[in-house]
Amino acid sequence: MHGVTLSLTQILPDQARAFYLNRGLPAVATETYAKACVYMTILRNDAAPGVVHFQLEDWSVVSADQSRPPLSVEAWLKRLEAYDLTQAATIAFRWAQFPPEHAYQPGGDWNQGMLTTGLEADTVFDLVARWDVAGEPYQGVLRSVRCAP
Amino acid sequence: MHPDRLKWIGLLLGIWLLPVYADLPPLTHGLTLVPQPRAAPALRLPTMDDETIDIAALKGKVVVVNFWATWCPPCRREMPSLERLYQVSKEKGLVVLAVNIGEDVDTIFPFLGTVDPSPSFPILLDNDSHSLSEWKVRGLPTTFVVGPDGHLVYQAVGGREFNHPALLQQLLDLLKE
Repeated sequence: MHGVTLSLTQILPDQARAFYLNRGLPAVATETYAKACVYMTILRNDAAPGVVHFQLEDWSVVSADQSRPPLSVEAWLKRLEAYDLTQAATIAFRWAQFPPEHAYQPGGDWNQGMLTTGLEADTVFDLVARWDVAGEPYQGVLRSVRCAP
Repeated sequence: MHPDRLKWIGLLLGIWLLPVYADLPPLTHGLTLVPQPRAAPALRLPTMDDETIDIAALKGKVVVVNFWATWCPPCRREMPSLERLYQVSKEKGLVVLAVNIGEDVDTIFPFLGTVDPSPSFPILLDNDSHSLSEWKVRGLPTTFVVGPDGHLVYQAVGGREFNHPALLQQLLDLLKE
């Protein structure tokens, strides 16, 4: 869409638990995250007419009863403060998330990272991704995504 | 599932759990010009061999600085190509520095053993991720190319095939300058 690739692939709760237990997060902390409906997210500038700039706070997770941005990295880090994580665990958590903001040059800049919707299992939602190229707004919508339990 | 059991599953499969289920795009083949060329930030870190490398001492060379971690799928995918790039261009004066973010030697070393070809360039250890803010990195992997004058010339956000002919040519041209 508009020279940009956007994809979501769900990371099931057990996969999210396994990943973060191995990065040193305590089980109680991984549990909250694993149940937040996590997606491996890829955004890539293949052939957009310029630099693709985005901020996750501009994106929307739209379900039957609400529309809101994905849960922010900052909010997760705030929640995790309660668990007295090691520095290594905090770094791994922070940098495994999809970037809150970035600018991708044409020709293949991209990122892959985790994105949490915060929805309950079995919820169906649309993801509305928004970005701009030289100030011109664009959006791409992934429709009827179901958060598997 | 019980956390201990999950931990073992994760230990065995590690990050490989993730790419198996992800629809991974191919690694890309080009470097992009740094929009606002500036002097490379400071970078002085210990290596896995307990030596210290200071990028300031590498002025006059072309230096590829790659920020990565073992849990980052595209970082893992691009690592063999980074070694291939190093193999074909080190005699021409190219230096490769791979800055690991937040992990210890006991974590990094086993991963390096799985990479084919295994990296022979220095792996630097940034335990507190300080370099990411210095270099304005927003996501992993991110790679910069520093020219002989110590300024940032190219960058690459996301995984690359570093030994692709197009990318290799960009670096060889820079080495000739």
